[in-house]
Amino acid sequence: MATSHASATVSSHAKAAPYPKLHDSRRLSPLLEWMRHHIEPLESLTALETTIFKDCTYFTRKEILRLHGRYHELAPHLVPLDYTNEPDVKVPLALIVNMPELKENPFRTRIVESFSEDGMGNLSFNDFVDMFSVLSEMAPRELKAIYAFKIYDFNVDNFLCKEDLEKTLNKLTKEELTPEEVTLVCEKSIEESDLDGDNKLSFADFENMISRAPEFLSTFHIRI
Amino acid sequence: MLAVSFLLLVTVAGEAAADLYLTESLPPELALSALPVTTPTAHHQSEYNQPGSARSVRSAEEPATTTDNGESSHHGGGYKIVQWEWSYVQTPYTIAMWLLVASFAKILFHFSQRFTTVVPESCILIIIGLVLGGVVLITNKVPLYQLDPGLFFLFLLPTIVGDAGYFMPARLFFDNLGPILMYAVVGTLWNAFCTGFCLYGMKMAGVIDEKVEGGLMEFLLFGALISAVDPVAVLAVFEEVHVNETLFIIVFGESLLNDAVTVVLYKVYISFVAVGPGNVLTADYFKGVASFLIVSIGGTLVGLIFAVILAFTTRFTKKVRSIEPLFVFLLVYLAYLTAELFSLSAILSLTFCGIGCNKYVEANISQKSRTTVKYTMKTLASIAETIIFIFLGISAVDKSKWAWDTGLVSCTLIFIFVFRAMGVVGQTWFLNWFRLVPLDKIDQVVMSYGGLRGAVAFALVVLLDEEHVKGKDYFVATTIVVVFFTVMFQGLTIKPLVGWLKVPRGTKRKPTINEEIHERAFDHVLAAVEDIAGLNGYHHWRDKWEQFDKNYLSKLLMRKSVYRKSELWEAYQKINIRDAISVIDQGGNVLTSARLSLPSMASRTSFPEATNVTNYLRENGSGVCLDLQGIDTVPSAKVEEETETHHVLAGNLYKPRRRYHQAHYSRHFMTVGDQERQDREVFQRNMRSRLESFKSTRHKRHKKDRSQKKRRGSDVKEKDQETNDKPRRNVSWQDKDPVAVPFEPEESKGEHSEPEKEEDMGITFVARKAPETPKERPKSVPAALEGCQSPPVVPPSPTCAERTLPWKSGLGTSPVCVSMEATKIIPIDLQQAWNQSMSSLESLSSPPVLSEPQHPRVSALSRMGGPIRPLSSLMPVTGISAGESSNPVPNPATGEFRFPAGDEEESALSHQQQEMQPLMSSARPPPPPPPPLAHGSARRRNPCVYLRNLVTTPPGNEPYSRGPTQL
Repeated sequence: MATSHASATVSSHAKAAPYPKLHDSRRLSPLLEWMRHHIEPLESLTALETTIFKDCTYFTRKEILRLHGRYHELAPHLVPLDYTNEPDVKVPLALIVNMPELKENPFRTRIVESFSEDGMGNLSFNDFVDMFSVLSEMAPRELKAIYAFKIYDFNVDNFLCKEDLEKTLNKLTKEELTPEEVTLVCEKSIEESDLDGDNKLSFADFENMISRAPEFLSTFHIRI
Repeated sequence: MLAVSFLLLVTVAGEAAADLYLTESLPPELALSALPVTTPTAHHQSEYNQPGSARSVRSAEEPATTTDNGESSHHGGGYKIVQWEWSYVQTPYTIAMWLLVASFAKILFHFSQRFTTVVPESCILIIIGLVLGGVVLITNKVPLYQLDPGLFFLFLLPTIVGDAGYFMPARLFFDNLGPILMYAVVGTLWNAFCTGFCLYGMKMAGVIDEKVEGGLMEFLLFGALISAVDPVAVLAVFEEVHVNETLFIIVFGESLLNDAVTVVLYKVYISFVAVGPGNVLTADYFKGVASFLIVSIGGTLVGLIFAVILAFTTRFTKKVRSIEPLFVFLLVYLAYLTAELFSLSAILSLTFCGIGCNKYVEANISQKSRTTVKYTMKTLASIAETIIFIFLGISAVDKSKWAWDTGLVSCTLIFIFVFRAMGVVGQTWFLNWFRLVPLDKIDQVVMSYGGLRGAVAFALVVLLDEEHVKGKDYFVATTIVVVFFTVMFQGLTIKPLVGWLKVPRGTKRKPTINEEIHERAFDHVLAAVEDIAGLNGYHHWRDKWEQFDKNYLSKLLMRKSVYRKSELWEAYQKINIRDAISVIDQGGNVLTSARLSLPSMASRTSFPEATNVTNYLRENGSGVCLDLQGIDTVPSAKVEEETETHHVLAGNLYKPRRRYHQAHYSRHFMTVGDQERQDREVFQRNMRSRLESFKSTRHKRHKKDRSQKKRRGSDVKEKDQETNDKPRRNVSWQDKDPVAVPFEPEESKGEHSEPEKEEDMGITFVARKAPETPKERPKSVPAALEGCQSPPVVPPSPTCAERTLPWKSGLGTSPVCVSMEATKIIPIDLQQAWNQSMSSLESLSSPPVLSEPQHPRVSALSRMGGPIRPLSSLMPVTGISAGESSNPVPNPATGEFRFPAGDEEESALSHQQQEMQPLMSSARPPPPPPPPLAHGSARRRNPCVYLRNLVTTPPGNEPYSRGPTQL
């Protein structure tokens, strides 16, 4: 599983869904579907489902159950504790973004958007697990780079262009910089890493830039 | 071979120095006979010496002086023309000599590159100390010097720790705070107890000799002081090894933070030993634990309080820039002393004071102060380190102080190593459960091996009270051996070991702006994801802290003008400046190698120092956008070539007249002899080139700025001048005030940040909005001084390129070489650099010749110009340009060239010609450096001829000339 993520590249597809999904329960085999409905639910997720998640992500069963608990906490009225029959629940963007802890975070919307499958910020449980899976220390660096790139790519054109960088900068500095200063910094940063000279950063540029700082992605971790 | 000879040299020097004050500068043979005569005086005098830093050194010397029973002095009796006042200067002299010897030693063994890459400096210093001590011992038969604990703890240690704390990479430190604390507290406790108990066990088992008296408490005490990893030694060795940052910060952080443990254990055991182990109550153990908490937390708090005070103080030092560094040193040092005062952990206090204040202080103080603080701290720390190691070596020679026991020594060596390794492995195993980036085996090996003991242990063991600790002499000897073994053997071998194990090295890579951006963005992302997950992890707390810092702390502790500026922007500016400097450095090398083949840029292709071309191109391209209208393209070779010529001329031609300065001066001054000014310029240029030929050849070329200037400067500048000249002319016309008040209101806009600009940093690259002017002087410069400074160097509206050109600000950084045939007229802003070098040179040379007043106004000027010398050199500039349009004034120097009042063209022509004049004379090959006073008449005859030549010569003959009209 992990190797397939590692080999996935972002540039192969256009906007639609160029990023690998870690898990898609709808592609389960009929046998597994059957088992899912007939085996007693264990806590909130079925034992089988946790197994599947466990195989598809970098988490243990316990961690997945904990994540599910958290997912449920986010939207108790939407997410059922018993997850067996309703695979299509999604937590809307507004719910997460309006969390008080995230109030100050400049990237809250962008993170949720880039991890949601539909790009609109509606997080299914799959997306939710993906988010942490990408940031777990087991995830390969390439995967982290892909998602980091995705977060920066505001206009989803598979390039970090000036607009994207300007948006990033404005978020980071809370609009403290004047437009000229933002432009300057953006130009500088593009010039620093733009290898092919097209004035925007492709994923290759981005990956190259990131690999020049080896400790860069190694800190892109959280442990749940 | 080389190294040995260096060592010998150092030894000789050291010997001389040692003898100098030991025997009061008599040769060693006479030393013994001379001692009785002179030392009593010295001793006597020492009582009257003021207390202070000298005291502690003196206490180290006391044994020397007291060894002689006093005879009466031979001094006195009648008036002596020359008196031998050694006793008066002895203490500072001694200190100065020590510093000198230490510094010389450093110079000497840094001659050999290969030697220093193999042998760490600390080893060499210890060896030097041993040799010096041996020499002292042989010549005096008395061991004199020891590393005095008072001196060490009050002066040497704080300089090193202060430096380390202030420049501690705060983020790295706090990222690894958990492991650091763990190793510092648990590891040190483990080492201390295990070493102590096991030594006691060895004593019981009879391995350690019976002569080593001491019970369990003594051995625990010894274990406590020998187990702490020493910050000085770790710094000295690890700085040369260049392991990766994480590894370094863990080992070094541990060595700093274990101070609290060591202090507490040491004090607790001392008190236990003093009262006797039988009398220790159970409550005392709890007191010990409480004491540990108080000492460590109290020390940290004291440090943080002082950090806040310091940061808050520097908020208000805008008007007193010159004492900013002093505040930093004083308050940081006071943090240390205050902690010592309350017997808290002084190292902790100092470390946290440094870490805490750094961000705010660096933001508040000026760039100059920053540089001062940095270099002073580094110098002090380096000197202190040198002295510590030399004294360690010297102390080891003192045989009377120690007693050898093989069992104790070997057991201690084995135990500290084994327990260190065990402790590291055990703790790392535990920590790796929680660490996101686990510490692997190689890291553990390096950490175990890097547990160096040093001067702290030695100072502590020397401080032991012999009445209570009977085996002190044995402990001293063992400590010395342990310190020497760890510093020398492990210090020597750790480098090959690190290479052999392929420990990831730390790269001194400069952070890019991308990294700055992404690091911050990643922080936010991680904090957000943690928050979504409902975890209160590290990122969550860091995010909270950063919010708190931003919302409250920064507002309280930083100047308004500073904290409004985003850190990201600061980072950008820093990176930009750094890129610019590096490009200029590289360019400088290019030019010096290609000096004479200037027009043909063949040498440019060989551009050797740029390590990779893309990097160079990147820098060349990106660094160029120093101003707001960044330039995207890499300049073509031809453009660079042209600008290069430009520069050469700029540095060597006469200072072009600046039309825009006229506004500030009355046109009364315009008649002051151009001639004389040019003479002075010639003279000064020659002087300058002579001076510069001694200097290094760095900063000579400014490649990037050349390209920048070229592209921008050539067209924009002229336009600017055209447009801006006119209003000024009108102003100057009315302005009869001879006193130069060079500031314009609009220019003072930039003033708030202006004092932070500096002239001696070589370059002032300013990326800021156009109306701000980087080059003016702070208003606080006294008026008399202002006269010496250039008038506002900034032309009415200089092009951005111009503003960033380094030669405007660089102190005499203009190139020396001149290409004869290439002549070009450049209205370049050389004023500031020029005036600096000029005013400095003028102090060397004769007063300016203000003779030949041919015009009534001249005499007025010379009266004015007399007291304010450099002003007179500026006057012609104003004069010419002020008088230019309708009222051309006879130029006294070039008598025949009088341009009658006429239409605009005529006057413009005259103006141009006057501007050409200096340039022409500089088109001559630079004359051999004239004697300082020879600038008067010899050079005076020429300019007319050259001027005429210039006027008649078609511009096409001069390959790089733009022609006068462009001015």
